[in-house]
Amino acid sequence: MTATAEALPGASAEPVADDRRRLTRLWPFVPAAFVLGALFLVPLGIAFAASFWSTGKGLQLVADWSLKNYVYVLTEGPYLGVFAKTILVAALVTAIGIGAAFPFAYFLVRYVSARWQRIVLLAVIVPFWTSYLVRIYSWQAILGESGILNRVLIALGVITEPLDVFLYNDVGVVIVLFYLYFPFAALTLYTSLERFDFTQLTAAQDLGARPFTALRRILVPQVRPGLVTACIFVFIPILGEYLTPTLVGGTQGILIGYDVVTFYQGGSYPLMAATAFLIAAVVVALLIAFRRYLQIEDLVRGAG
Amino acid sequence: MAGRYTRRDFLKLTAGAGAGIVVAACSSTPGASSAPSSVAPAGSSAASVGASAAPSSAPSAGAASASPGPLNFLTWSDHWSKDEIKGVKESTGIEVNITELADNIDGYNKLQQVHGQLDLVSGDALWVPHYYDAGLVQPIDISSFQVASQLYSMARSFDFWTKPDGYLAYPWGWSPIQIVFNPANVSPAPDSWQVLVDPKYKGRIVMEKQPTDIMLFAGVATGAKDIYNMTPDELAAAKDWLTKLKPNVKRLVQQNNETIQALASGEAWLATQNIGAPDRVKDAGGPQVEAIVPKEGTTGFIDGEMTVKGGDNQARVQPYLEAGAQAEYVAQNFLDNGRPLFNEKAYQLLVDKGQKERADRYLYNQPEQALNMRLKGPAGNTDAYIQAFNEVFGG
Repeated sequence: MTATAEALPGASAEPVADDRRRLTRLWPFVPAAFVLGALFLVPLGIAFAASFWSTGKGLQLVADWSLKNYVYVLTEGPYLGVFAKTILVAALVTAIGIGAAFPFAYFLVRYVSARWQRIVLLAVIVPFWTSYLVRIYSWQAILGESGILNRVLIALGVITEPLDVFLYNDVGVVIVLFYLYFPFAALTLYTSLERFDFTQLTAAQDLGARPFTALRRILVPQVRPGLVTACIFVFIPILGEYLTPTLVGGTQGILIGYDVVTFYQGGSYPLMAATAFLIAAVVVALLIAFRRYLQIEDLVRGAG
Repeated sequence: MAGRYTRRDFLKLTAGAGAGIVVAACSSTPGASSAPSSVAPAGSSAASVGASAAPSSAPSAGAASASPGPLNFLTWSDHWSKDEIKGVKESTGIEVNITELADNIDGYNKLQQVHGQLDLVSGDALWVPHYYDAGLVQPIDISSFQVASQLYSMARSFDFWTKPDGYLAYPWGWSPIQIVFNPANVSPAPDSWQVLVDPKYKGRIVMEKQPTDIMLFAGVATGAKDIYNMTPDELAAAKDWLTKLKPNVKRLVQQNNETIQALASGEAWLATQNIGAPDRVKDAGGPQVEAIVPKEGTTGFIDGEMTVKGGDNQARVQPYLEAGAQAEYVAQNFLDNGRPLFNEKAYQLLVDKGQKERADRYLYNQPEQALNMRLKGPAGNTDAYIQAFNEVFGG
């Protein structure tokens, strides 16, 4: 308000100085505009253009505009199926992740002392102190045929021969993705629940609401931004996951990101770009579908 | 008010800092000024040796010697070792940045994108002239390399690497691609590519993720006339073969040492691999495995190191190879990685060290065999090969 009040008289008396002042105020946006424009929008534009081009015999890009790359990805080969599978896996991991993170965060906020909350949250964050790759390779050592899980199951007498069902398939991919993304869901929900006034639940129950009804009608609506943010933080990155499906999914557990990389490694940049933009289109479509549940400020609030 | 900043002060400060960063970035651009002192002392002398010793055809050698940065080397995991890199650093001052590549097409595409940011790139047989034709690499005067006198003479005169303006790569090693199997699990002993599509080996094969090469195997297995230029019908047959192969392939790995580990751990019973796998698997604590060349034939590689055209640190290529391709390192590399190499002096060292039987078993003493293989090279229509591969393994 102060700035506006100061600017108004200046605008009538000294228009040139005011214009300069306005421009000056834009300077702080220049670095961000550069990053977004030159390092994001321009490459994105080039990739988008390339998605309509083709590759020559010498792997050079040929700017012969057509939709054939999109048609190919959507109609030929296994790509549409892999798309569907990727969305299903992302939805499944999101559901399991939220399903596990919500009670975890609820219990932590409501029943654990502030000191222990910090310790538990630290334990959630600690995996981030190690490399993403190391964490995935560790899971290879856990889930493999000669891995810890099989050894424990054999030692307990549950199985007699090592099982190969935990690694290099969709099961392994879901387990490891859940592990990797659980902290994002848990921390987001924690910050959301931390601001909730739990006496409202007591009041609702005092007024006759069953515990589950109180949760559903009092708690959930108020932590909705956190829930939506947690879903977004888990679901969307999984759509583009490459390393985890490659390292623990083998040839059976791949997701669409694998195809993007294979096209890239093979020099088929137009097909790579078309596949990548189809993933982006799915993300945009989902965000539009959920727009009534999502406000930008929710993201900020939910992320805490 | 002391210690408080106005918005103007803040903008001045950030503008000054930004300008400083830009100036610093520009001044550290190769060729613009000398390198940081931590790199310069040892490196500068090596670079000047490189500049003076470099072939006269190297256009930017002089310029590169003025900016001695690390040598950027895009290569496979079995072309270098930590000991070698450390030894080169100690003897020449040259630091080497290794970036590993998955396969030839991966290297070709990366180099197309970054050009002079790389200085040295490894490539196989007929891929090498492909790089040259695309203007990505420049020939060397191999006679100016002292270390080249350690090579088998035939390795200095491959027809497909000989151009009027020089030799396209410094020769490194060769190998046919074999089928490696664990006889405890794979019986009877295979003699054909068809063992890879036998349903009883479901989930028991590990291969390197080299789409073009896997398509070439499929072409050989299905009897394509020219595996580099398969007709649509031959491509369809190759794709059908891949469809049968896929359930058997547990995973596609990036580097061949992962294949060795998979065989050693028992995770894989079958794999495609270079010569030397049985000893490597045994050295890794694994079972006794065997290797065969399928009766339908196979593909193979002769590989070497190519000098990148316009590489920022091109002057360091020759000094690096002079030091790093010495027989001692090559002999150890053979013991570590198994397949035959082209350094004849290293063979003599192996004989002196009592490794003759192993070296001869892996054809180290028969480099002429390298020319009897169907050499690896780019497909006539790479896009079609990649699409066929991805339509099977991409879903």
